[in-house]
Amino acid sequence: MEKRERLVYDVLVVGGGIAGCESALNLAKLGYKVLLIEKELSIGGKMILLSKVFPTLDCAACITTPKVSEIARHPNITIYTSTRSSSIIRKDDHNFEVRLVRKPRYVHIDDCTGCQLCEEACPVSITDEYQYGMVGRKAAYVPFSIASPRAAAIDIENCTLCGACERVCPTNCIDFTMEEEHLLLSVKSVVVATGFELFDPVKIPRYGFGKFKNVLTSMQMERQLAPTRPFNTILRPGDGKMPDNIAYVLCTGSRDKSVGNPICSQICCMYSIKQAQLLMGALPMADITIYYLHIRAFGKGFNEFYAQAQDMDVQFIKGKVGNITEKENGNLLLRVENIEKGTIMEAEHDMVVLSVGILPNMDLSESFKNEALTLDPFNFVDQADMMASPAKTSIDGVFVAGTASGPMDIPDSILSGGAASAEATSYLRRDTK
Amino acid sequence: MKVEKGKTAKYLKEKHPIPKEVTQQLKDFTKAKKNLINALKEKEKTIPQLAKELDLPADKILFQLMTLLKYGLVESGDIDDMDEYFYYKLTNNGPNKS
Repeated sequence: MEKRERLVYDVLVVGGGIAGCESALNLAKLGYKVLLIEKELSIGGKMILLSKVFPTLDCAACITTPKVSEIARHPNITIYTSTRSSSIIRKDDHNFEVRLVRKPRYVHIDDCTGCQLCEEACPVSITDEYQYGMVGRKAAYVPFSIASPRAAAIDIENCTLCGACERVCPTNCIDFTMEEEHLLLSVKSVVVATGFELFDPVKIPRYGFGKFKNVLTSMQMERQLAPTRPFNTILRPGDGKMPDNIAYVLCTGSRDKSVGNPICSQICCMYSIKQAQLLMGALPMADITIYYLHIRAFGKGFNEFYAQAQDMDVQFIKGKVGNITEKENGNLLLRVENIEKGTIMEAEHDMVVLSVGILPNMDLSESFKNEALTLDPFNFVDQADMMASPAKTSIDGVFVAGTASGPMDIPDSILSGGAASAEATSYLRRDTK
Repeated sequence: MKVEKGKTAKYLKEKHPIPKEVTQQLKDFTKAKKNLINALKEKEKTIPQLAKELDLPADKILFQLMTLLKYGLVESGDIDDMDEYFYYKLTNNGPNKS
């Protein structure tokens, strides 16, 4: 459905993760009208799905949800979820013409109370992508309990159109007549906060991910550790056993030319150490071993956090895991090159967590039609003047925030979001029209 | 075509037929749910016990059981003597005791 009316905003923020949210909120507080678009059903990015953050072990949701709800309530911010930009064209100085595609949610968000009666009534059950495939969800569903907006959505591809959700909805907010919308808008500036993708360990077949059920990714473990976890406690996905000997394989898909990602993801060491500490709390009898190449504990409080894990008896083995095989009982045999001892060793664990790296999200770069958004050699958004103006990109008036410009942790992402909003403000104030 | 509020699924159904895979998916889930509920009616069981009884891989049982736990039909009980596997039972608000 083409909407002919042209929408006008000061700034378009692309991406509703923590960096995009920070930028949007700062700009809105200065009085600028901001449109925040997010491709997913909820803002909050990956951070809203985490258990705790390092090195403070603060609850991730407790930090994200107040910020997300402040954004949702701010009069200067409009949020469009399930929305992507199809083209961004510079028409003039301080003038970009943007075309957006908004997928139908089949639910009128403003009328939905998030009561989940539709979810209860829906007979369909499919894999829950927000729990990283470990459990099912309905076709009529609230994406996750702290989603923002906390409103239902219909997964139309898996819906049987039985109408059960509509029949129980107390506000009649479900509407299957909704169609894809094409929107046209004018903005003065753009903030690119498209975040990152996680490395898919299927690309390293020797680690057995997808084949051996007790090999999981760090994001799956993150979900298992979160208060809104998929299981009743930490369990092996292969058979529901409570694990007591867990291995972490660091640098899975990072610092590895053979998989096309030669750079360090910067967060894997620390989130693995964080998860190890949380696991020691959740499973006091468990042994945790971390196989690493180098521990990069470079941030404020990181080295102390690493030392704390050692004091808690987390085992650190400097070694490269060559391959993983599965035993009949579901346990896993790791063949490891022990770098310190210069030997090859075999170790048995009942669960293996692959600490997967960060990859660039190149979704947006092709949207820029008449000026190229330059990418760096690793396909992150290139910072045109990294030292003097870190949010500046190759396009005047387009700024980059957070992990769209490269791997970084949460505090740095928030700082980067702040920097992008400051530089966008400076740019907007130069507008003499 | 006039569309009545609260009955819009019918409108879309007329425009787009439901793919066979979606219907099959619903059948599979309904069957799995029924089998698990029947298996747990008698007494609480662990995942390996359910896998053996239903002759299904344990990972599939875990997925289905945890889905039912999320939907409020099943709850976890005590852990077994070896501290390895939890017992699962039907909840009082599920389609259990009838």
